[in-house]
Amino acid sequence: MVATLVQVDNLRKEFGNVRALDGVSFRVDAGEWIAIMGPSGSGKTTLINILGGLDTPTAGQAMVDGTDVARLDEAGLTRFRAEKIGFIFQQFHLLPYLTAVENVMLAQYFHSTTDEKEAQQSLERVGLGDRIEHLPSQLSGGEQQRVAVARALINHPKLILADEPTGNLDEANEDIVLSLLRELHAEGHTILMVTHAPSIGRLADRRIEFAHGHLVQSAAALKPELA
Amino acid sequence: MFWRMVFQLLRGSRGRLAVAILAIVSGAAVISALLNLDLGVQNKLTQQFRTLGANIVISPASGAPAQISAAEVPSLMPERDVLEALRKLPSAQVTAAAPYLYIVARAQNHPVVVAGTWLDQAQKLDATWKLEGNWVASRADDARCLVGRNVVRRLHLAVGNPLEVHYLDRSAQCNIAGIVDAGGAEDNQVFASLRAVQSLANLPGQIGLAQVSVTGTARVVAEYSARLAAALPQSQVRPIRQVAEAEGALLGRIRLLIVSMVLLILILTALCVLGTMAALAMERRKDVGLMKSLGGSISRIVGIFLAEVGVLGAAGGLVGTILGAALSYWMGLRVFGTAISPRWEVFPATIALMIVVTLTGALPLRMLGNTKPAEILRGE
Repeated sequence: MVATLVQVDNLRKEFGNVRALDGVSFRVDAGEWIAIMGPSGSGKTTLINILGGLDTPTAGQAMVDGTDVARLDEAGLTRFRAEKIGFIFQQFHLLPYLTAVENVMLAQYFHSTTDEKEAQQSLERVGLGDRIEHLPSQLSGGEQQRVAVARALINHPKLILADEPTGNLDEANEDIVLSLLRELHAEGHTILMVTHAPSIGRLADRRIEFAHGHLVQSAAALKPELA
Repeated sequence: MFWRMVFQLLRGSRGRLAVAILAIVSGAAVISALLNLDLGVQNKLTQQFRTLGANIVISPASGAPAQISAAEVPSLMPERDVLEALRKLPSAQVTAAAPYLYIVARAQNHPVVVAGTWLDQAQKLDATWKLEGNWVASRADDARCLVGRNVVRRLHLAVGNPLEVHYLDRSAQCNIAGIVDAGGAEDNQVFASLRAVQSLANLPGQIGLAQVSVTGTARVVAEYSARLAAALPQSQVRPIRQVAEAEGALLGRIRLLIVSMVLLILILTALCVLGTMAALAMERRKDVGLMKSLGGSISRIVGIFLAEVGVLGAAGGLVGTILGAALSYWMGLRVFGTAISPRWEVFPATIALMIVVTLTGALPLRMLGNTKPAEILRGE
């Protein structure tokens, strides 16, 4: 029997009068790859932020690996992010004054202790063994996103949250990053990925579609290789 | 990783931090120079004031120091008591000391004040005297004397001439070693060995006055004077108020000026750092949002930034302190005509002050604690 890693029940998030999430409920099994889709402003990123402990819900429950994120205080959220979540952002969000390996080590530093060798291996794994000492400004967009993937994986998180991970990439780099995600999925990582692109959404095991803060559809994706 | 982060931050933000670094280095340089001057000036001024003469006078308790004419009953004190009291107190503070016995004798039928003293101390006690001829190097030299320029003029004397003085039915003779030009009462006096004058007056072991020149601030002089007074209950021990007060007032004003300037510079430096850090804090909000998303606690994140600022303050303080030492050396030469050596205690004091000032100036970094990572990362 597959364990449930994410359990969301009647989740609500309001920004003033705006209801970004309105009674959302779903669950994700460990090892699943979920594509969260929907138009802009439908609440996808808000959901990811709550599940990642970057934001708190107005009401409802968001359980990740047995932890109700809504009940954590600031210190608890900090530990939760360090230990259980790996973020991949559309804008890469690397620190410009740190080299590729130092950006990866930064995640180690906030998690526990740094291990430069392990950080280097993580970069080699995403094909950046020859770019370890480069600053983000010396890397292409695809390379920067691969550094971000290495950083997201370095602490062996339970859940990888990817918000439009290929949104800023050209087609070639998009393929590289998607193939990395496929590898991670094959290794058993649980991935929640926000995307606009149906072609990318189809790579996931399941698609969860949002509209105006509501979950409108949850369906198994039709995998391209099976189509 | 902590220090790696700190130095990468410093390297990455060196352009932005240039203004703050400049402010810290120049602030530290001026503060270091002022502190060196403050400490150095005290020594220099104390030395300058010591050239004005003795700053403590010991006299018989009964009143004014005795100047004995042949007809008067002298008010005197035992030389031995005074010397014993001086011996018991720390000698390191005493620049010079000498007992005096004044008598009014006659020379060539003219009345003349003869002061018996330790002639070897005259140059130290009265450094402003101009002397034609030679000082008398030994207090035991009974054969030579110093003569005030008015006495020399009145009696038509010159260096090397013998001078015979008479007191009651006794007389004594000395050779004039030097002519004193003091611009004061001393120009009308003859200075001979204490022993010779005691013998001439038939007052062995008696003195009318003692003068002491003590090194240190007005407070040190007052303290020394009080201890001396306690050791000599039968005598009157007084610091010379004009010298002590002038010294104290001048040092007080200089210190007030320096402290005010140091405070002003510290405030200006802090404001400059504050401005830079406020701009930097806005720039760093995105970095902080990211660090928080990676699981960084605000204390660890702000700790990195504060360490960056601390290193900035320490490095800027060190460079500035060295420059300040050179500046104070130059200012000492220009203002006092003598170099003011850097004081080692100024180094840690200035560096510590600059670290405190830069950390105070880094207060805007506290705003980073309120950073909401979700808002920052979605570009709000």
